[in-house]
Amino acid sequence: MDDEPIVRWYWIGDHLGYLGNLLADHAVIALLPVLIGLLLAVPLGLTCTRFPRLYQPLSAVFNIVYALPSLAVFVVLIPYTGLATQATVMIPLTFYALAVLLPTTVDGLRAVPDPVRQAATAMGYGPWHRLTSVELPAAVPYLIAGLRVAAVSSISLASVGALVGRGGLGYLFVDGFQRTFPTPIVAGIALIAVLALAVDLLLVGARRLLAPWAVREKGAGS
Amino acid sequence: MIRFEGAGKRHPDGTIAVEGLDLDVPTGRITVLVGPSGCGKTTLLRMVNRMVEPTSGRVLLDGTDVAALEPAKLRRGIGYVIQQAGLFPHRKVIDNIATVPYLLGWDRKKARARAAELLELVGLAPETGKRYPFQLSGGQQQRVGVARALAADPPVLLMDEPFSAVDPVVRAGLQDELLRLQSELHKTVLFVTHDIEEAVRLGDQVVVLREQGRIAQLADPHTLLTTPADDGVAAFLGRDRGLRGLGLRPASTVAVRPVGDGLRYGGWELALDDERRPIGWIDRDAVTAELHPAAGYRPDTDTLRTALDSAVLSPAGVAVALDAAGRATGTASREAVLAALSTPGTGAAGETAPSGSGEAEPGPAAAAAAGDPTDGATGGR
Repeated sequence: MDDEPIVRWYWIGDHLGYLGNLLADHAVIALLPVLIGLLLAVPLGLTCTRFPRLYQPLSAVFNIVYALPSLAVFVVLIPYTGLATQATVMIPLTFYALAVLLPTTVDGLRAVPDPVRQAATAMGYGPWHRLTSVELPAAVPYLIAGLRVAAVSSISLASVGALVGRGGLGYLFVDGFQRTFPTPIVAGIALIAVLALAVDLLLVGARRLLAPWAVREKGAGS
Repeated sequence: MIRFEGAGKRHPDGTIAVEGLDLDVPTGRITVLVGPSGCGKTTLLRMVNRMVEPTSGRVLLDGTDVAALEPAKLRRGIGYVIQQAGLFPHRKVIDNIATVPYLLGWDRKKARARAAELLELVGLAPETGKRYPFQLSGGQQQRVGVARALAADPPVLLMDEPFSAVDPVVRAGLQDELLRLQSELHKTVLFVTHDIEEAVRLGDQVVVLREQGRIAQLADPHTLLTTPADDGVAAFLGRDRGLRGLGLRPASTVAVRPVGDGLRYGGWELALDDERRPIGWIDRDAVTAELHPAAGYRPDTDTLRTALDSAVLSPAGVAVALDAAGRATGTASREAVLAALSTPGTGAAGETAPSGSGEAEPGPAAAAAAGDPTDGATGGR
């Protein structure tokens, strides 16, 4: 990399369409698993709260999955899902998202103050009805906090998928590294950061919208 | 009427929460269960709406064993207020209040209209409905809790230490508010507290409980204070119970000397402003015209205790009787107050609200704020 500058702007200018495609691919690969993770975490979390005995074994399983190196899981999946397919990358990412979202869902459901739960029961909510219409909405701030962690880490992890042929912006890292050409690497890092930031802001906005009551709750100890 | 028939609760580990209690909770009255922590009072309360199932005996609601009723349905017909209010944090106040109407399947508009009525009934401004619970003070939250319990107009109200988490001044206001509501609504109220003061203040009948839900005494507040069943109950009632008993008797029995021209009592003279409101007592022998505070009471709303207190506080030994506007209408000497003490007490607990003076009375808050002229916090609607 003797005289190679960090960024060659013309390259970026020439490859805007290409970068856009990679960004879109990256967003889908990274965020769809988080969405699926959320759709699984909510019913699982509700079930674990209703039947607390399920929670320990289930969270142990997800923690072990979370501990597995992503690359290893990608490789293991290739025979089943194929090389360079979205599924190979998205299946492990879904599990990672679940590993983050299940505990936050359960914590959020459990964080509902006891008097609130008792009042709901005394008003005439059945156990499931209470979980879905009192505890779950009250857990929204927790869920969104979990989503922020899951989404950002998924966006970062998705790039590893490039090593098995499908990593969205991660491909820019492999490419730049192999050609000793830093411009794609820099562009990739910048776009990943922008994507992560945009998603995070979106989630903060969603929290304001869905849980306006939680915005200033801290400090108003009730 | 709620009837406990040998209702007992034994925990799975063998400990006994309630041994087996027989008790009638009469319709339209406030029955207070009072006792130290661990006496099983909350357990008993929760047997009524099946949040606790008795392991022996049964609980009847208007003759029906509650065990035969579906819990959710039963509970929608019973108001429930707890210590921390337990409001749903994610719902606006108006929707919190409308909880049971929603559960009963009322349409949104009707439920909210009902909730708005209740907001007013418990003395909260209509704008409060748009707020979230965390934006309210503890006292306001508790009012919302009461409103929520009343939303579907249940005949029975269970209250589990509803006012014990708020400060004493707010608590007194809430107690007055409850008595005012009860004088309008006539619910069958079962109220649990560890505070004997609160028990005698609110209860039409007070049940003093010992460990394992054994009844130490069941009486109206006046009887309880004047003739405790045994030393244990007397100790639980604490000191000054004679004096406190006066707090249950209306001040209207005190003979009041109308205010004429002469407002002189011994060496003291009562100074009035243009509106005839007392300013203070002046020592006629003193060189300076220093004003000594003139304590007053309302014969129509206050109790004998307040009247006596006013007389004791007055340097002239004379309590000033006031009307609703704070004008002096007469005076009562210590002797007059003492004479009223020896007339047999009526023991009319919870009846301190005025029934005669119709127009715009400031509510029973005046009773609480007697001796503290800065009232109007709860009364001024």
